[in-house]
Amino acid sequence: MGGLKVLYFILILVVVISSEGLWRGTHAPVGAGVALAQEAWLQEFNDICSKTQETAILSSNELKNLVARCDTLKPLIDKLPETQKKVYLKRLQNCRDFFVFALESKSDK
Amino acid sequence: MKKTLCILLVLMIFAPLVFAQVGVKKKRPLPSEYGRVVIKNYSAKADIAPVVFNHWLHRAKFTCRLCHVDIGFGMKAGTTEIKEADNIAGYYCGTCHNGRTTINGKKVFESCSKTVDTADKARCLRCHSLGQNIKPEYDFKTFTQDLPRERYGNGIDWEKAEHDKLISPIDFVEGVSIKRKPLTAQKDFEVAPTVEGMPDIIFSHQKHTVWNGCELCHPEIFPKVKRSQIKFTMNENFEGKYCGACHLTVAFPMIDCQRCHSKPVQ
Repeated sequence: MGGLKVLYFILILVVVISSEGLWRGTHAPVGAGVALAQEAWLQEFNDICSKTQETAILSSNELKNLVARCDTLKPLIDKLPETQKKVYLKRLQNCRDFFVFALESKSDK
Repeated sequence: MKKTLCILLVLMIFAPLVFAQVGVKKKRPLPSEYGRVVIKNYSAKADIAPVVFNHWLHRAKFTCRLCHVDIGFGMKAGTTEIKEADNIAGYYCGTCHNGRTTINGKKVFESCSKTVDTADKARCLRCHSLGQNIKPEYDFKTFTQDLPRERYGNGIDWEKAEHDKLISPIDFVEGVSIKRKPLTAQKDFEVAPTVEGMPDIIFSHQKHTVWNGCELCHPEIFPKVKRSQIKFTMNENFEGKYCGACHLTVAFPMIDCQRCHSKPVQ
């Protein structure tokens, strides 16, 4: 019974540490959940920024949606380790600024 | 004697005023030094020589977009604030300079590493070379000897070099770049200069987007897109704004007037 208690305790500890993000970073033993979460932000980033060369054919609503997606993604990138955060925040900002620029250009025409 | 003293006095008083009016002519960089960037944000603190980055070597192999959009280098020298830890983590210079990446069949040397011993010192000095007596691996003269000539800048017509397939700048790095749909061709347009008699500028979107994509120039360098709203002067260009962001530092310089002001005067 005592052994089971210890096992439960270890399990809870692992869950808590993982959810707190204490093991984040390149040297961390990345849990499956954390890896999936990391992959999700990168997938979203890639999907958003892959559209920068299509702005001429995107509607204003689609551009607005892309800007909104940038704003939703930003807090997730803010939580990344320092270097990754610096690089991807700048890249995301570039994409967002370009979508806003394209949107303004459309409304100017 | 009194006359000479008077002349000297007048000269001493007015000479600074004359220079203040016309400025002092800036020395043109050597072809090998054109586009050179010295990176020294943290080098003094780390007790190492600043990094000397040669644009000519990198632009022959990679597009501007790859480094300034995908990898994230800022457009102004020193603004990226690259740290050793960034390179070690595989970002900025470390994106390619990691000792694993192969470019054109050649392994790219590692930029920074966690442990440095005396054997590594020569490797550090390949980049941290300002004021050091280093023989570079790539010699400018040898590297560029077969490339088409141009009057200014690096003395190389980079555009023709690519057109003639003498260089093939890479635009995609796996794991860093994003697969995008090819850019739809944008029409060239004319920009009327404010000086009468000066030929119109023919701006080629195609020539610019092939190396730069969209977000390298817009909106950071060119915030407006409606043609009537784009109003800038040559003075602003020479301050490093607009065209001057690249055509003063890396791309052919603006003293080569005819390359932009290319429409024949009617």
